[in-house]
This record gives sequence, C-alpha cells and structure tokens, in this order.
Amino acid sequence: MSIVQLTDALPPEGTGWDLALRFSGVVRRYGRHLALDHLDFEVRKGETVALLGPNGAGKSTTISLLLGLLRPHEGTVEVLETTARNAVAQGRVGAMLQTGTGSGLPPGVKVAEALTLVRKLYRHPASFDTTVERAGIGSLLGCRTNGLSGGEAQRVRFALAIAGDPELVFLDEPTVAMDVDGRRTFWRMMRQFGQEGRTIVFATHHLEEADQIADRVIVVNHGRVVADGPGATLKAAVSARRLRFVVTEPDPERYDRLEGVTDVEISGSGVTLISLDADATARDLVRSDVAFRDLEVTGACLEDAFVALTQRNRRPQSDIA
Amino acid sequence: MSALLAFLRFELFRLLRSWKFLAITVGFPVVFYMLFLGERNSSQIVDGTMPWRVYLMVSMCTFGALVAALNAGGSRLATERSTGWARQLRITPMPAWSYVVTKVAASMLVVLPVLALVELVGLTFGGVRLGVGQWFALTALLWVTALPFAVLGVFVGFLVHAETAYPVVTALMFVLGYFGGLFNPVSQMPQALQSAAKALPSFHHALLALEFLSGQTLGASNWLILIGYTVVLGLGLVWKYRVEEARGLA
Repeated sequence: MSIVQLTDALPPEGTGWDLALRFSGVVRRYGRHLALDHLDFEVRKGETVALLGPNGAGKSTTISLLLGLLRPHEGTVEVLETTARNAVAQGRVGAMLQTGTGSGLPPGVKVAEALTLVRKLYRHPASFDTTVERAGIGSLLGCRTNGLSGGEAQRVRFALAIAGDPELVFLDEPTVAMDVDGRRTFWRMMRQFGQEGRTIVFATHHLEEADQIADRVIVVNHGRVVADGPGATLKAAVSARRLRFVVTEPDPERYDRLEGVTDVEISGSGVTLISLDADATARDLVRSDVAFRDLEVTGACLEDAFVALTQRNRRPQSDIA
Repeated sequence: MSALLAFLRFELFRLLRSWKFLAITVGFPVVFYMLFLGERNSSQIVDGTMPWRVYLMVSMCTFGALVAALNAGGSRLATERSTGWARQLRITPMPAWSYVVTKVAASMLVVLPVLALVELVGLTFGGVRLGVGQWFALTALLWVTALPFAVLGVFVGFLVHAETAYPVVTALMFVLGYFGGLFNPVSQMPQALQSAAKALPSFHHALLALEFLSGQTLGASNWLILIGYTVVLGLGLVWKYRVEEARGLA
C-alpha cells in the first residue's frame, strides 16, 4: 500500500525540528481486532496536526497510547523524549478525551472548584485567570458541572486539559457536541493557544476542520497511516477526480469495475465517479459500451481525496472479483 | 502531598454537599434506630448480659458506618467512572494509587460524623449512658474497624456499572445489616443463619464494640476476620483497578 508522504513540509516559523512525539511500528489489538496495525508517524514540536479518519480507524486508540492510558502490544511510543506515562506524570501533557454519554466532569461541583482542583494536581500550572481566559469559561465558573450544555462542558474540559500549562495537547473529537458558532470560537482559542509554541494533536472526522486548522493532516484508516501532509498538498497530491456524466439507465455495478474508480454516486440519471486515475477511467469508460453523455471531469475536494485514500485498501478484492 | 490533600478535600466537599448522599447516610441509620427503639422494652437483656438499648445503639453505629462507607464509594464512584472523570484525573500528574487511596480515605472520613450522630441519638433518645472516655474509645474502635466497609464500597464502585451500582449497594447494605444481626440479635436467628452471620464483617464489627462495652477482652478472631476482609477486598480492588487501567479506564 502506498502512503502519500510529503516529508519536505517545513515546520511552522520559529520552531525547531525537535520531535514532540514518535510512533514507530505500533500495534494494538482489542481481542482479535487489530486496532493499530504498525502505525508510524512523527510530530514535531510546535506543529498542529490532525488525525483524520472514519470511526474505528484507530484515532482514539492512538491518543490513548500517547497518554499512556494504553500500552502498545508492539512497537514504541515516545512522547516529549520520554515514555507517554512519564510525560503525563511530569505534567507536560494535557488532553480532552471522548467521554461517550458522560460530561467528563466531576458531578456535583462548580466549574471553578473543578478547575482549582486540577490546577493543584500540577506542579507548574498556568494561572487560574489565564486558563479561564484561554478557554473562555469566565461566565461558567459559578455553574454546577451537571447543568452545563454539551458545548459548555466541552469548553470546561478544554480548560481542564490546559490547566497544567502543557507543552503538548491531545484533543479527541473536541468539537463533537458544539454548534457551528461554538466550533468556530473553540478553534480560534485553540489556534491562539497553539501559537505559543505548543504542539497540538487532534482527532477528527470533520474534513474541513482538519484542512483549516492543522498544519498537517495524517489520514488514518484500519490502524495505518494512509496519507500524511499539509491539507492543501494532500488534496493536490491525491489524483482523485470527479467524473460526472448522464446515462438513461444507471448501472452502478458496471461503473465500479472501471479502472481507477473508488466510489460511485448515482442520483437520478446523473452518475458521479470518484477516480484515482481520471485518464484511465475516462479511457475505460469510452471503451465500454456505456452510452454516456455530458462527461465532465473536476478536481476532488479533500473529502473525495479522503474517501479515495481510505477506500483504496478495499480495491484489490473487487479487482479480483 | 498537597495534591493528595487537595483531592481529598475536594472529595469530602463533594460528598457532604450531595443531598442524596446525606439523606441516605443520615436517614437510614437514624430512622432505623428510631423504629427499633419503640419495638422493645429498652431494659430487655440480650445475649445474657447486654441491655437491648446498648446493643441497639452499637448495631445502628455499625449500620451507619456500613451505609456511609458503601454509599461514599459505590454508585457515586461507578457513575464518575462512566462519565470519564476518572480517566481525566488519570491523565494529570496525580499517581494512580492516590486516586484509590483518597477514595477510601474520604469514605472513612464520612463514617466518623455518622457514628457521632448515631451516638447522639443513643444518648438523647436511646437511654445509653457511658463515661466520656468510653464514648471516645467506642467511637475510635467503631471507626477504625469500619475500614473493610470503606474498601468494600470503593471495590463495588469499580466492580459494577453505573446503572446497577445503586441496587447492588442497597442490597449489600441490607444483607450485611440484616444477616449481620444489626436489626435483630444473631442469637435469635435460626441456627443456619447464625453460622452465616458469623462469617460477615458487620457481625464482627458490632461484636468488637459490644465486647469493649461489656468489659471483655476484644476477641482476636473478630479482629482477624475484619483484617482478613480488608486485605481480601483490598487485593480485589487493586486487581480490578489494574484490569480497568489496562483497558485505558474506558
């Protein structure tokens, strides 16, 4: 399997090449299920990196390993030049984890009390006021944690994640309970926080988020890295194109067999093919006896690139069939 | 150390501010005490020499300790594990053992005021008269020997899910209370139940205090059984915590 590798990307201005974390050959299983299949990647200090992938791709597992909550079955995880556990014990790492249905906050206390406690667990925390301002929770300090909306709880959890003034922050689907406005505000705060030389790694399945926020996007699927590079370069690097045409009676099975096609969408008589090799697909289409008209080829968006990349693993099987 | 104390303080505040917790831990022992008080002639003698009023107060102290310790851990702990708060704490620099140790310590600390409250009922309504030194020594004894209950409460909080924790805790409260002879003297139970009662920590917890009040030497076997429960439940707790941790506390 090929990986779209764009290692010549430069780190952001003013930061070095020091590594914030390194994943090498990491394997993690849940029973028989292989969650991470020899995962390799590195993140430099000061970078903001998105881990992009569908549900079940291994993003949350990756973050759990980076925090030392889980141990790898094979391979090594290095965080800030030490083990994940040490980095956490030294108070250099903060994280916002996925909490399922729960709020991730202690029940029955006020927001200010939770923040006060978490600050005391670190040796060199950021000041109370700084954290409140960074996370924009000034108006929530007197509220009970049980009474917060989803978006408010996320902001409080962000405050708890950065209360220790960490060098490295992991965010697992941080905007999941937020509306559009909440998302925008959240990422503005996040970006500001990252500008102070901190390293940020976030998991998402929102393509625009990854593209807009991250310096670099690492696409993960089936526990492997399938693409790694800046969002824009990633889009250009992937040769995915959309081929649109019109037929009288669409027959999806036939288009799926055309060379290079990774995805077929049909709406009415209109057919859209996502292809990793538009030229080959077009040639194949002409050779076939498909009576198409109005053929149109356009560049794909990151979403298409993403679908193309993550679907590629399945291609060999359908090719044989 | 200051981190640990901050966490302990936080836990205590959280407990003492929870209406549900207070209602259960104050309500159960006091209401049961009042109900049982009216049931018999308070000067009746139990087990040869012990006046019923003293027997009852000690039993209700044990019941109070049990209720407080089980509810401080139990469903509250199971709930906060399910919300992800336990995992959030795990990714702070606070070591893993302090989480468990603080939970047990907080449970122990809330047992103390419950004991004092039940004793106050004993003094005011229960007709129990003891010397000042005896009151203090009795309280200290009842408190120290409540450790297996505190460990049990935290263990249950790790063992069961948030939805099932509450019924499990309630069942434990009444099984240990009833079969431990706290609602009815063990000597008045059928023979089969008597041997079952003598295997329970609640029975030995109350018995030690009764031995103390009747001026007997405290039975070594009672101590051993309570220590045994503490050790076994403690090992279970450590084992369960390790298992949860290997799964990422998810």
